[in-house]
Amino acid sequence: MRLGMVIDLKKCIGCYGCAAACKAENATPPGVLWCRVVKVESGTYPQVRRISVPLQCNHCGDPECLKVCPTGATFKHENGIVDIDHELCVGCRYCMMACPYQARTFQHQVLGYFPGGLTPYEQRGYQRHQEGTVSKCNFCLPRLERGLEPACVANCMSRARIFGDLDDPTSEVARAIREKGAQPLYPELGTDPSIFYIAP
Amino acid sequence: MATASPPQRSPLMTPSFLLAADLKARYRPQREWVEGRGLFLIVAHFLSGAGAAAWLLAVPLNGPPGLVVGWVLVALSGLAHLAFLGKPARFWRMARRPHSSWISRGLLGLAVFLLSGGGFLGLAWLGQGGSALGQGLFWLSLLGAAWLLVYKGFVWASAKGIPLWNTPLVPILYLVYGLRGGLAALLLVALAQPRAGELAAMETLKLWLGLSSALLVLVYVAVMRGTGLTAAASVRALLRGQAAAVFYLGVVLLGLVWPIALGAYALATPVSGVVLASVGLTSLLGDLALLYAVARAGLYRPLPA
Ligand code: SF4
Ligand code: SF4
Ligand code: SF4
Repeated sequence: MRLGMVIDLKKCIGCYGCAAACKAENATPPGVLWCRVVKVESGTYPQVRRISVPLQCNHCGDPECLKVCPTGATFKHENGIVDIDHELCVGCRYCMMACPYQARTFQHQVLGYFPGGLTPYEQRGYQRHQEGTVSKCNFCLPRLERGLEPACVANCMSRARIFGDLDDPTSEVARAIREKGAQPLYPELGTDPSIFYIAP
Repeated sequence: MATASPPQRSPLMTPSFLLAADLKARYRPQREWVEGRGLFLIVAHFLSGAGAAAWLLAVPLNGPPGLVVGWVLVALSGLAHLAFLGKPARFWRMARRPHSSWISRGLLGLAVFLLSGGGFLGLAWLGQGGSALGQGLFWLSLLGAAWLLVYKGFVWASAKGIPLWNTPLVPILYLVYGLRGGLAALLLVALAQPRAGELAAMETLKLWLGLSSALLVLVYVAVMRGTGLTAAASVRALLRGQAAAVFYLGVVLLGLVWPIALGAYALATPVSGVVLASVGLTSLLGDLALLYAVARAGLYRPLPA
């Protein structure tokens, strides 16, 4: 099994719903974006085009972050998800230099969003984050274990995201890649990403 | 277990502000290995290169004082590494993956060097440096020092996210700069305790290394300029952007022009110890500046592609 995703840039309306759902689900502190949406403009007036491109960890088949990690904090689950054990991470940030997709963030301080201390939600959610370590998207593994989809997929109002098993040729995600010619980012780097994009 | 700090609201330097600013740029700068505590990493790599080279070069050129200085510099680099880490108490875990990580390989080299070199110095102090154990430790320390000198460049070159560093030229450049740093440290040691013929040999070697490193910097900049859009943007950052001041003042003027000009002059005419000391000092500053400037000019590939 290898979990992966297709993001249909034709359908994405750039609403940031996935980024907000990710923040709410994973209680990521300020300055930490596991999922983000980038707006790209092309052409010249009056022939101008603006597209939205959601970005996050690609859960690479051959991840550079895993190769360089000196502690083994970065590891891969059997289902292909690349994850971080925060108890092992030493905060060297080598993985951040090695990842070609800017998918990782170093948590200098786990700050709250509001003045006057952490809210009860933050106090609970921040149990998952450690100062002095690196973090990134884990395809919402705790949700998957409860039989749910990742928060970015479940909350995408235009159904631009398809999630599933890349190894299963009958899965919706595998079919979308095959039939719609979805492509990963920077395939030439040999990282073998598990997120594919359908061209806008 | 989360360790949550109370909110701090400094206006411009919050992680969110920096992130938002960086993500708007087409080429996002790397900050973690050059800003804040990232500066300790630059200092650590500078000290370990110069210290390891001083240890190796002290054997033919300077003797015991150079060995002590080399060992102390490497020990200080260990402390600087600790100061850089987010979780320094866990540092020993970094030795767990030598089969794939250059940081693991470096930590093992550091441990081998510090233990064997320290053991040898201790035995030498007790007058047992020539014993079988002393000689065994000494040869092991030479291997450790050579490894330390080499590994650093590969740490940077294996970072696939930053095209400016991801080239086989970086290990060569950092090796030569490590040797320069070691020689400059030995020059300063030799000026404090001059011995016959020692300074002349160092001056000639220093000039040769100065010229080679100047040539290498030129080749590096020229090659990286043509190695893709991101590397070219990094070269612009180095020559005209955020790293330019350090590059021209530190790398070129202090690190290359001054030592090479004075080195050439000193070959023809005897110069005072103060002038030679300035060559050693500026050379060391230039080496540190090169590590800083190359780190500061590091940019990620644009996303989306
Ligand atoms: S996108 Fe980056 S962080 Fe994610 S698996 Fe690939 S190399 Fe690692
Ligand atoms: S910061 Fe943590 S996860 Fe990243 S390479 Fe270092 S130890 Fe591994
Ligand atoms: S939630 Fe869906 S439509 Fe909105 S930005 Fe994310 S991927 Fe695009």
